[in-house]
Amino acid sequence: MIWKEKRVLLIVLTLVLAANTIFFFTYRVQYQSRLNSLDDRQSQVQGELDQASTARVRAEQTFASYRKVENDVLLVFDEHWSTQHDRFTKMFAEVTRLAIASSLEPSSYSFAKRDAKRIAGGVRGGTLGVTEVRISFGVQGTYEQVRRLINLLELSRQFIIIEGIALTAADEQTLSLDLRLKTIFRDDPNQDAAQKQL
Amino acid sequence: MKPLHLNLASRPYRDYRPVYAAVVVMSLLAAFLMFYNVETYYRYTHDTRNTRAKIAELEAQTQQERQREQMVQQRIKGLDLARLGAQTKFVNAKLAERAFSWSTLLDELESVLGDDVRLMSVTPSFSPEGDIKLSLNFVSKSGDGMIRTINRMHADPQFRNPFPNTQTATDGGGYSFDIIVQYVPPPMSGGVRLSEAPR
Repeated sequence: MIWKEKRVLLIVLTLVLAANTIFFFTYRVQYQSRLNSLDDRQSQVQGELDQASTARVRAEQTFASYRKVENDVLLVFDEHWSTQHDRFTKMFAEVTRLAIASSLEPSSYSFAKRDAKRIAGGVRGGTLGVTEVRISFGVQGTYEQVRRLINLLELSRQFIIIEGIALTAADEQTLSLDLRLKTIFRDDPNQDAAQKQL
Repeated sequence: MKPLHLNLASRPYRDYRPVYAAVVVMSLLAAFLMFYNVETYYRYTHDTRNTRAKIAELEAQTQQERQREQMVQQRIKGLDLARLGAQTKFVNAKLAERAFSWSTLLDELESVLGDDVRLMSVTPSFSPEGDIKLSLNFVSKSGDGMIRTINRMHADPQFRNPFPNTQTATDGGGYSFDIIVQYVPPPMSGGVRLSEAPR
């Protein structure tokens, strides 16, 4: 009877005591394990930071390497290949000069142009932004003259590729040499834009 | 004489002492635990302040790193990688063709040709992997010219896997034959090559 009369006070006290007991056993008794788990959390976050840093550095390196490749490609396109407008006459003058320097005189030249759109591997509309131009000519001379012309073409500062050679004996001392040369020109963006406007 | 029992209480008397004793004990116990718990809480927050600050700092740094990586990834996505890859391959193929030394090749061919065998035509082809295959046409005065040429190519480390294509007798009594052979240029004539874009 007396317990019932004071039940409100007793229930409140019991609840306060129970709450403190629970807090004591989950907080005070596991104090060290909580400190350890906080240290573990710090290690885990440090690991996440390291991973994020590594991923960021890797992405930056990848981007830098793409940029380097892009610049290298641009360097070849702009400085070595240039546009047909800028380089074709210079290149042809160089071939003629080297033939004369080798004491060989081509009687005729033939030219052919292959659009980059037909080059295998072309993407984004099938073009790589380049054009291949072939020059074929025949000369007659001694083997030494032929070798000299080939050597001069190899040493030329112009981007000239010897695509193939064919030799036939004209007489005892003279050879007929058919030479197929090839060069690459970067497409002219201004000309392309003008053609699109037309 | 009958004894007199006085009851001055206004209501029936009850003994509350056990209840009060229980209340006191419980209150003391609760007060003790509460004090201990509060002290523990303050000590925990004080002791772990640096660690928690460090964790918050690390989390902020991690977030920044992820944002920066996302920005770089967005810039990478902005590049036309397929076109760049195709251009790099094309440039490397053309640089390899440009670096190809015909003078060295002709020197090598001179060393493997017999006295009665003459070179008529050479056409190299370049694979994307960098292999060079030569299509060669020769004429010889004797019928064993092709065999001797192939044997000499076998003995030369610059030529690999020579294989005949055709051999025909010519009007002048000689023979014309084609050989396809893999050519390995000497190391000095390597040339320049662009690094491939990473994948």
